[in-house]
Amino acid sequence: MKPQIKLSTIVVTLLTIGLLIISFDEVLNPNKWTENEDYLFPRFVACGIAFLTLLLFFDQTKNKKTLLKDLLPGLGLIIVYLVVMKTIGFYVTSLIMFFAVVMIYQKREESTDFWRASIYKLAISIVFTVVLYLLFTVLLNVYPPKGLFL
Amino acid sequence: MEYFVFLDYFDNVFTWYHLALLIGGTFAGIVLGALPGLSPTMSVALLIPFTFHMEPASGLILLGAMYTATVAGGAISAILVNVPGAPANIATAMDGHKLAKQGKAKEALHYCFMSSFVGGIFGVIILIFFTPPLAEWSLKFGTTELFWVAILGITIIATIDSNSVVKGLLSGLFGLILATVGDNPVLGVERFVVSDHLTGGVNIVVGLIGLFAMPQVLSLMEGYYKDKHDVLEATGSSTLLQSFRYVLSRIKALSIGSVVGSLIGIIPGAGGQIAGLVSYDQTKKVSKVQDNYGKGEPEGVVAAESANNSMVGPSLIPLLTLSIPGSPTAAVLLGGLLIHGIFPGHEIFVSENTKEVVWTFIDSLILAQVFMLIIGLFLSRHSGWIMKVPDNYMAVGIFVLAVFGTYSIGNSYSDVLIMVTLGTVMFFASKAGFSAVPVVLGIILGPIAENNFLLGKLIGGAKYQGDWWLYFVRDSLNITLIAICLLSIAWGVYSTTKSKNKS
Repeated sequence: MKPQIKLSTIVVTLLTIGLLIISFDEVLNPNKWTENEDYLFPRFVACGIAFLTLLLFFDQTKNKKTLLKDLLPGLGLIIVYLVVMKTIGFYVTSLIMFFAVVMIYQKREESTDFWRASIYKLAISIVFTVVLYLLFTVLLNVYPPKGLFL
Repeated sequence: MEYFVFLDYFDNVFTWYHLALLIGGTFAGIVLGALPGLSPTMSVALLIPFTFHMEPASGLILLGAMYTATVAGGAISAILVNVPGAPANIATAMDGHKLAKQGKAKEALHYCFMSSFVGGIFGVIILIFFTPPLAEWSLKFGTTELFWVAILGITIIATIDSNSVVKGLLSGLFGLILATVGDNPVLGVERFVVSDHLTGGVNIVVGLIGLFAMPQVLSLMEGYYKDKHDVLEATGSSTLLQSFRYVLSRIKALSIGSVVGSLIGIIPGAGGQIAGLVSYDQTKKVSKVQDNYGKGEPEGVVAAESANNSMVGPSLIPLLTLSIPGSPTAAVLLGGLLIHGIFPGHEIFVSENTKEVVWTFIDSLILAQVFMLIIGLFLSRHSGWIMKVPDNYMAVGIFVLAVFGTYSIGNSYSDVLIMVTLGTVMFFASKAGFSAVPVVLGIILGPIAENNFLLGKLIGGAKYQGDWWLYFVRDSLNITLIAICLLSIAWGVYSTTKSKNKS
């Protein structure tokens, strides 16, 4: 069997190397302040991972393709959401996120009457957020991150 | 009679609050199950943080109702859209969708909920009578045995739930490493803390939500522009009575489904998908109308649905006794048990506090089947709209709930970051053939494996003068467990090569 080099295999290999370095650090650089057994269990697991990673090079299963073009806008929104959620507040950010996702991800046939469709989507986003607020914060007393706003 | 101890706790289920939870959980479960692509595993994972604030028994009742209902609800989309709502409903789609195309969708849905009910009740009965003796037997498990049980749990799921044994095992081992991340109170050290956000480690529920909900969100976004299947309306003239008579007349399919489903439920790791497919296959083999299978034979629906729901109860047997989940969703339920401070094993059936919680939970599963039948039959008439929820709304809805749920666990922003990162990595990893279930099991069973490993090493060191590892490989129970681990790996390798050769 010929070894196959795939991106996923390279990522796993790098992770494995990192794991091995961290878990064997105490063995290679003994330090009287640290207990040598702290990383004992992870060390065994890391060895198992290293062995399997070698076998991974001979794994014949094919990877599925990722449609990055369709995925990237969503991933971008998620990152922005995470960055601003803490400052602005969970409910307001979620409302904007909900609206932004349903606006960005829309099929051509949906957008015949742009304004009407947008108002409808905004209404649903507001209803979703309000229901979430009533159900969790008012009824169950669960409090999400609160920033400048709610 | 010790066997009828479950009857003592039945009245706990019949409080207004618990009945409301059962009805709400079942309703939501059927709807979530029916949404194509939303698996029972993800639904239960997303629900766990919200049960935090409930009493343990109430939280578990809600999770149990959800588990039962999502498996049955998955049949709705299998029949109407030909997209199984959950892997458990793959076998249902084979004949169910053909029936719907013939204008008999309503009939098919009746069969499916009725046979799910029969299978479900059978499964819970098995759970009630088999769990206590097995829990008693689990007393024989000492430190080393528990270590091997944890490894076995990961091995079995890794070999069953993955297309490649190597990737399945790797996923499980990465899960074990994730479990060691962060501050360890037993050892008093911080491990693998490469960023401040990791100081608290990877909470089980954070891991569950990240690994199951996030990939779902991303794949809904990714697949948004793909063509969708047409939704058939639930039409047909069959009355409930006619369907009821038919289901009862298919006693052979019902019995095969229930027995096969229960047996597969008990096997750790093998979930509803395998239960449904094996039962469908076996019923077909003994059927008089073999040739009709795959062309819209109601018997096929009965066989598949009775099996996947009878799997639910027994999948909790290894979970409650040995903390090895019998199905992927049961793995998530294990997370639910642990956050309520219930550690599986013989102890939970003995200690007064947990005994009540566990039996109330098990009893509630019987009632969950009844509600599943009633609500399912009611919803099957109006189920077309469920499938019309657009993917973009679902994706962002799940995402917001996932963030909310994760944050509410420990009011920690770091948890949210861990959840999203883990989930995004899992999404790309799943494209490369890695599976989320072994990772989750690794996170859940990791502490059990490590603590028993260190304890076993200590005892073994004293017993065998330094050759501590001998302690792990002596004693017949240890050897048996190791043998099963190896056998499951061998079986995994064999079955994947066999299926590759076939294709």
